[in-house]
Amino acid sequence: MIKDITLGQYFPGASPIHKLDPRTKVLLTILYIVSLFVIRGGWGYFVSAAMMFVIIALSRIPFGVVLRGIKPILFVLLFTATFNLIYGTGTPIFEDVSWLGWLTWNGLRNAVFMAVRIILLVIGTSFMTYTTSPIMLTGAMESLLAPLKWVKVPVHELSMMMTIALRFIPTLVDETDKIISAQKARGADFETGNIFRRAKALVPILIPLIISAFRRAEELADAMECRCYHGGNDRTRYKVFHFAARDALAALVMTGQLALIIFLNVVT
Amino acid sequence: MNILETHNLSFSYPGGEGREPVPVLKNIDLAVEEGSFVAVLGHNGCGKSTLAKLFNGILKPTGGTVTALGMDTADENNLLDIRKNVGMVFQNPDNQLIATVVEEDVAFALENLSVPHDEMERRVTEALEIVDMLPFRKHAPHRLSGGQKQRVAVAGILAMKPKCIILDEPTAMLDPKGRREVMRTIRRLNREEGVTVLLITHYMDEAVQADRILVMNEGKILLDGTPREVFANVGLLQSVALDVPQSADLMFALRQYDIKVPISILDDMECTQVLIDLLEGKFGDYSDRKFDA
Repeated sequence: MIKDITLGQYFPGASPIHKLDPRTKVLLTILYIVSLFVIRGGWGYFVSAAMMFVIIALSRIPFGVVLRGIKPILFVLLFTATFNLIYGTGTPIFEDVSWLGWLTWNGLRNAVFMAVRIILLVIGTSFMTYTTSPIMLTGAMESLLAPLKWVKVPVHELSMMMTIALRFIPTLVDETDKIISAQKARGADFETGNIFRRAKALVPILIPLIISAFRRAEELADAMECRCYHGGNDRTRYKVFHFAARDALAALVMTGQLALIIFLNVVT
Repeated sequence: MNILETHNLSFSYPGGEGREPVPVLKNIDLAVEEGSFVAVLGHNGCGKSTLAKLFNGILKPTGGTVTALGMDTADENNLLDIRKNVGMVFQNPDNQLIATVVEEDVAFALENLSVPHDEMERRVTEALEIVDMLPFRKHAPHRLSGGQKQRVAVAGILAMKPKCIILDEPTAMLDPKGRREVMRTIRRLNREEGVTVLLITHYMDEAVQADRILVMNEGKILLDGTPREVFANVGLLQSVALDVPQSADLMFALRQYDIKVPISILDDMECTQVLIDLLEGKFGDYSDRKFDA
């Protein structure tokens, strides 16, 4: 049961979107978010949504998966839309019906636009994690945040911690499974009783797990020292990222989108 | 030339608040020759893992000195040079793989040593080739079998091109197939690549494959010699709770009956030959003897 946990939402693939340099994806995702907040009119949203459809089509990630990504924010979405609708000002939609006086064109417009903005925001950011493996993202972060080393941010150490965490998740999940089986074999009961009882039943799983994690950490530290690990100074990298032509193209398209949105803002 | 040397080496673990330090190693003088294959035997708690960790400066001696390639391990400035040349493989393969892809893990030491990218790629390929894991270079370590993981760990050390590899019970957590794979790799390293191997183990059949065996007991070296010399001391080995190879055990048992079979028989073929000779009467006629066992 525990094995089903997938970390992040990565969908392995070999689409043009998957192949983009992870750094490009991080930067362009930020650019996309910025462009969403620049938009002022309906045409702008149309451009942004069209852009998203192109990306979804290119990535070959099933549309159902994308829709499922919106499900967790459905409540927030309804909440925001409802409030925008209620607090709209201006001309009512039904001028003759007095009890619908609060329903204005302006409010409806705001509600729809806000909903579209949130949906695009969520899909846009999750697309980065759909198409980039966690370890690539870590690499991209280390590379992009490298300038922060000048202000003493331990960029290398943070990314090393991330890498080790990602490496050990499957190992510790396996171990948890084993501990659960061992405790069950000795009569532990995890399935019945109220929530407090069940929470308490987790203690005999967590304690051995934590102790073993510490033991592993100590051995890992020794193994790293044996392999000449001495911090991030003058380390070379085995995995180097290369900006390719497709990265330039992607950057161009995304900047073009932003330019178009600004242009539409000015014109309309 | 001696690649590893200890002079009057002692080591104690700190005993914690108000308690006496716990002595683990006592006045050990030892020299390991370059290119040799040495096995270290001893039951749990005899100090063999501690000895291993002293050789590449993971631990510092509390008395005496340890030198690796002529460099003192107590000097911090030597540590990188020593660790580059004295690699170490541990028991649990899961706890020594750092990256999430096999080839990146093998490259880990090279990244630390600032090796340029092209050379890194070459050395990773070479190291994976030696341990027969090249087809798995893009795999995730947690999907591999124990034996495969351990070979990746060996490759991670090999990539540094060390002159010596210390293996601390590398097969203890593996199934028989994994054990065979790892032992084959270790033998090949020693014979073909000329790497000095120090193998800590409690499997007799692994120790037999070495040129030299050290038997440790209670922080001291009890026996030191070729497998034949060491396993001739069946009584002494059994008194420190160590097994001997089955054939040596059988010869020992026969000698208890005053049968003059050779003392040091190690492999099954030799043993069979001795038994045939015995039955043909080469060691004297025992046909009238009653055996009570």
